[in-house]
Amino acid sequence: MNKALFKKALSNPLAMVGFIIIVSVFVLAMLAPVISPYDPNDIDVKAILLAPSWQHWMGTDGLGRDVLSRMLHGGRISLLVGLVAVGIATAIGIVLGAISGYYRGWVDTLIMRLVDVMLSIPSFFLILAVIAFLTPSIWNIMIVIGLTSWMGVTRLVRAEFLSLSGREFVLASRTLGAKDARLIFTHLLPNSLTPIIVSAVLGVAGAVLMESGLSFLGLGVQAPQASWGNILTDGKEYIQFAWWLSLFPGLAILITVLGYNLLGEGLRDALDPRSNNK
Amino acid sequence: MLKYLVKRVLWMIPLLIGISLISFFIMHLAPGDITNNEAAFNPKASEESRQKLRELYNLDKPVIVQYGLWLKRMGTLDFGNSFASHQKPVFWQTTDKDGNVTKGMIQEALPITLMINILGLIITLSLAIPLGIIAARKYTLWQDKSITLFNFIGFSIPGFWLSLLLMYWLGVMNNWLPISGLHSINYESLDTWAKIKDSISHLILPVIIPSVTGLAGITLFVKNGMLDVFHQDYITTARAKGLSEHKVVYTHALRNALLPLITIVGLSIPGLIGGSVIAETIFAIPGMGKLFFDSVLMRDFPVIMGILTIGSALTLIGNLLADLAYAWADPRVRRGVVRN
Repeated sequence: MNKALFKKALSNPLAMVGFIIIVSVFVLAMLAPVISPYDPNDIDVKAILLAPSWQHWMGTDGLGRDVLSRMLHGGRISLLVGLVAVGIATAIGIVLGAISGYYRGWVDTLIMRLVDVMLSIPSFFLILAVIAFLTPSIWNIMIVIGLTSWMGVTRLVRAEFLSLSGREFVLASRTLGAKDARLIFTHLLPNSLTPIIVSAVLGVAGAVLMESGLSFLGLGVQAPQASWGNILTDGKEYIQFAWWLSLFPGLAILITVLGYNLLGEGLRDALDPRSNNK
Repeated sequence: MLKYLVKRVLWMIPLLIGISLISFFIMHLAPGDITNNEAAFNPKASEESRQKLRELYNLDKPVIVQYGLWLKRMGTLDFGNSFASHQKPVFWQTTDKDGNVTKGMIQEALPITLMINILGLIITLSLAIPLGIIAARKYTLWQDKSITLFNFIGFSIPGFWLSLLLMYWLGVMNNWLPISGLHSINYESLDTWAKIKDSISHLILPVIIPSVTGLAGITLFVKNGMLDVFHQDYITTARAKGLSEHKVVYTHALRNALLPLITIVGLSIPGLIGGSVIAETIFAIPGMGKLFFDSVLMRDFPVIMGILTIGSALTLIGNLLADLAYAWADPRVRRGVVRN
């Protein structure tokens, strides 16, 4: 994606709003150790389940920990899991999709059947089943989400490669004697990047939701490490007395995921010539 | 049509084999063998229960024999007995020599999950189709813009958070709806009418929340479908003939725009089944999702593997039904003119 396209993408108001949201969330998460008013794991038995106040902007939880500090630190986890999981999925998708779309034949058939099989196992069941056999930890969560969400990218890259390989510039390069690697890395892949980026951005949205869901169930990020999902688990526990424990983490997830979705859809609108004249 | 059906069913065989391979692979993911793993998590795991695991999955035999036996379990839908729940059969009921019937765990849980998801799907479709049509007809006007905004929020809101908020607002703050289970404690003592009312009030939240989150995708899909169809020549022809706008939209455009919806509903099945884990856990609904979650917590491997297989089979069946419905609705597919 070159500079002009990037500029065009950010001239789209949806993408711009999404971009601002994501950057702000990232900055807050990065600065968590500096701006957190308290240690996120500091237990204070004299300050259990306090409502939001000037001392504790988002109140305290059942162990007297400051919710704002936990939210800031939890944000680091949620963002990290989203990025790494999608990084894994996108890497697998590019490799398999490129092989499938470039070499075709039986390799293509094999990879596409694997995609069909993976898509027919409910992915949440698959993820939970794998976690049941492993120890829950944030690394396992990232790997498992990544390993179960590469199918869309694979199909996308394959479709791009199939349609690009018939185009004149690719044929010309091939006629001039370009090797497979050159064709793939200098012609096919760079020209497929736009849809890959859009799908990766939207994928992060899905991965953040997935991680928070798993952590909410207690199978993701483990206590005492904070994540937005597991603060909500406490929220459920104390729902009758402490609304703030449920409200803030959910809002954080909503805003972050919304940011990624806006950015992804905005990029798609801006970069896809077809969607402009609809 | 029959030829299409046979082809479509045969097509499921390689998928089933693939699913069996992946589930077999998952079983062997654990470091060492799964008996160590279980013991590591569950200090109470005795040597006896380890032995049971080894026997169930034939861990002392060569890998290829183990796979063959796993394939046989999948084929006969016999997943053995649960470890955690007093040796209940995982899938279907068994009768012992005294004639006592023990119901299977999936047998009891599946109908509940299916009912909730089907009700949810009906609500989703009956809201998404009108919303999609409005968004397409009022494209770029305020109606479309507000529906788009709603869609973005629907895509981004965590369903379990929405559940918590509604639980708090409707259940805790106002006490309008019950917040867990399928029935009240005094259900048995109620008369028929009160029983129906009790069941409905328990179902409202678990059914509505997944439909709200699923609504966004389908609304967007209907809208895009309608917009595409509006550009077709036959719509221009219909308008040129002087048909009323109502007739153009509802008899010419809608029917064609809705066709691909059949496929989308089919494709959404794994998401619905998987999504039932969180919804059923929050509202304490004894369906497949909660059963799966509880089994994961207790490392009840026979149940986990059974539900994984049944969930995949349901997805395949759902996709098959969707494809058949498509072929039934679209003569071009049925006669093999276009590939579905």
